[in-house]
Amino acid sequence: MTRLGAGLLGAALLLASSGVPADLRLALYAEGLSEAQRQASQTLLDEARAALPPRLRERLDRTVEVRWSTHLPENGYGRASRPDRLELNARLLPGLANGSAASARTGRPHGTVRRELLATVLHELTHIYDRSRAWTAEQRRLSNRCSQQAGSLGPVGLAERCRGQTTRHFTLSDDPRLLDLAGWQQAVGRRGQRERDNGQVARSPDLYELRNPREFVAVNLEYFLLDPAYACRRPSLYRYFREHFGWAPAARAECPPTYPYLNAGRDFARQPLGQLDPERVYEVDYLFAEANDSWVSRWGHSMLRLVICAPGRPRGPACRLDLDHHLVLSYRAFVGDVQLSSWDGLTGSYPSRLFVLPLNQVIDEYTKVELRGLASVPLRLSDEERRALVERAAEQHWSYDGDYWFLSNNCAVETLKLLRTGTAHDELESLDSIMPNGLLELLVGRGLADRSRLDDPREALRLGYRFDSFRERYQAMFAILRQRLPVPPGSVEDWLTLSAGERRPWLAHADLRASAALLLLEQAAMRRQLLLAQEELKQRYLGHREGRNARPDMARAGDTLNKILASSGFLSRPAELLDGGYGLPQAGEWPRLEAQSTARHRGLRQLNDELDRELRALLEPERLSELQAIEANLRQLGEHLRALHKASDGLQLPGSEAARPVPQR
Amino acid sequence: MRHSLLAITLLLLSTTTQARSLEQTSNIVVRAFDRTIDFTSDTTTSIRDMKVVIEARDDAASFVASEGAIRGAQLEAALGAIRERLPETREASDQALAEAILAR
Repeated sequence: MTRLGAGLLGAALLLASSGVPADLRLALYAEGLSEAQRQASQTLLDEARAALPPRLRERLDRTVEVRWSTHLPENGYGRASRPDRLELNARLLPGLANGSAASARTGRPHGTVRRELLATVLHELTHIYDRSRAWTAEQRRLSNRCSQQAGSLGPVGLAERCRGQTTRHFTLSDDPRLLDLAGWQQAVGRRGQRERDNGQVARSPDLYELRNPREFVAVNLEYFLLDPAYACRRPSLYRYFREHFGWAPAARAECPPTYPYLNAGRDFARQPLGQLDPERVYEVDYLFAEANDSWVSRWGHSMLRLVICAPGRPRGPACRLDLDHHLVLSYRAFVGDVQLSSWDGLTGSYPSRLFVLPLNQVIDEYTKVELRGLASVPLRLSDEERRALVERAAEQHWSYDGDYWFLSNNCAVETLKLLRTGTAHDELESLDSIMPNGLLELLVGRGLADRSRLDDPREALRLGYRFDSFRERYQAMFAILRQRLPVPPGSVEDWLTLSAGERRPWLAHADLRASAALLLLEQAAMRRQLLLAQEELKQRYLGHREGRNARPDMARAGDTLNKILASSGFLSRPAELLDGGYGLPQAGEWPRLEAQSTARHRGLRQLNDELDRELRALLEPERLSELQAIEANLRQLGEHLRALHKASDGLQLPGSEAARPVPQR
Repeated sequence: MRHSLLAITLLLLSTTTQARSLEQTSNIVVRAFDRTIDFTSDTTTSIRDMKVVIEARDDAASFVASEGAIRGAQLEAALGAIRERLPETREASDQALAEAILAR
């Protein structure tokens, strides 16, 4: 310790013993500084001290010496070299003293060199605070009890709330809740042990925060203390720090009431950029796609469904049927397609992303294309938990780009992490499940999910707690058809194997019920043909790739496909649309977001139309003519249904001509 | 950035992952045709063209064919929406409305 430092410490002791309240003191080491340099440094330190949370200053009851040092790396701003000393890069001192640092832009979110210096002082003091184990009495009791318990019971018998509490070393950076929010998640089945990787890599204010939880805390406290928009950009962390310090900075930006999101739905006619209003979310359901025979979906798929009320409808049970406003949060492996319905062969590591999809599309994908049922089980959440979960989902949508591993980081694991971090529910803290069906059982078992609304299967189907697989519907439709028309004997599969031409003569003889059944069966036939077409294309494409049967039209389609894959990524990683800014996008970023998403979306639409044409041209002529024949059957059925309806004088829904507004005189 | 789109595209092009990219091809095939089956639009100026009504067509067909035994949520949503928008249909039976949706 230097002479001056010792002197300061002596003075500090004197102050402490004379009844002055505990407080942090920042002492500038002024030797060799000019008067201007001394003054500018002192002002900086006074500002830093004023920006600190009162609790931090009280708990760090010591004198910390601040020196300008020439030993720091060229590009470094500063470091805490000892628990009572900070060093700042002397290279930056002249700029601070002559005022130029206040206008020198850094290209980082803090803006100027001077702001960066201020942030550095706060950052380094946070490290000192973090290392000082400044726990509350309650936290200290919990840690003591937990480490005793761990000693006597071992990790297996440890109580739920003791997870991560047995060997605490830091004030903040090893707090389980902080680690959840920061993105170092519990590894599955490892009794609270944390994963090494952090997937919250997108829209980071400073990638240095991802180095380790200690840097994460220090970097985030800079923004918590200095950026009035931190509350809006990283709301869940803002609340965490506010709770910890029992205080928040006075300057706070007004946050927008909604979260922007990108809708990854397949409806290319629709602008993908949307606004999610947490106040319109009535309930959140655990949405579970039942298993089928394919090995990748043998355990089902986990998703969350946001039950969003139609605009103008107050939150309440009626919102359950506003199906076209509901959104599904689905963690999927990003392989480059906006609509992954088949995950065959996914064994390795792919980016895992949070997709936001329209519910109706998810229903169609599972029940009609994959022939799998869906169960939608409401979660029992308080208003506050529900809001926090929606907010967390928005944060993840903008920041998360993890790795998808089929066995250890799949949809169930990701969904569980989102639920855990979003709701901070004690019951979820120790929940471990890597299988979607297992997760549902656990949620129900712990009273977090309410399966009673699925008890009556008919009511559940009517009210959208269950969406049945069309496999059963097709069977039922065929049984009805056979009752009403003397169609050839056999199963529904036999019926669908007939050619469209062989089925066509029956269409004209069908009554209303039989026509309705035929409509669904023709659609089933269409999907069956598409599966066959798919398989053929696949074989030919493989042949083309391996050079057995190289074809320019195949190459063209392959090119277009790859362009689509490359340009659809933004839908699940919307951070790509913006540069600068961090966390949730704010009002100022909206125009760029809108322009970017519109432009990218237009490009994607064009590519998609191109591919439609190219693929149609690639189909085998017999396949194409069969598909066209089914399309003709569907058209004929539509006309037939309308004719029957008209003949029976059925109710007509007003069309656009009737609903057109009356012209003004 | 750990996962550049370029890297993903290259990954898809590499021989070991051919099958996967082909799965994507095929899904795009399904999608290309699926849109011709159930084309939906956002223009909700008319009841008949309301998205919720168009999306209820399969449920309406199941309902009509099964004489009400199969009653799905998409139909239920459409019935509610039609009755909300057209007070004169409030007296109409579910069957009559389901038929109207089917014959739209």
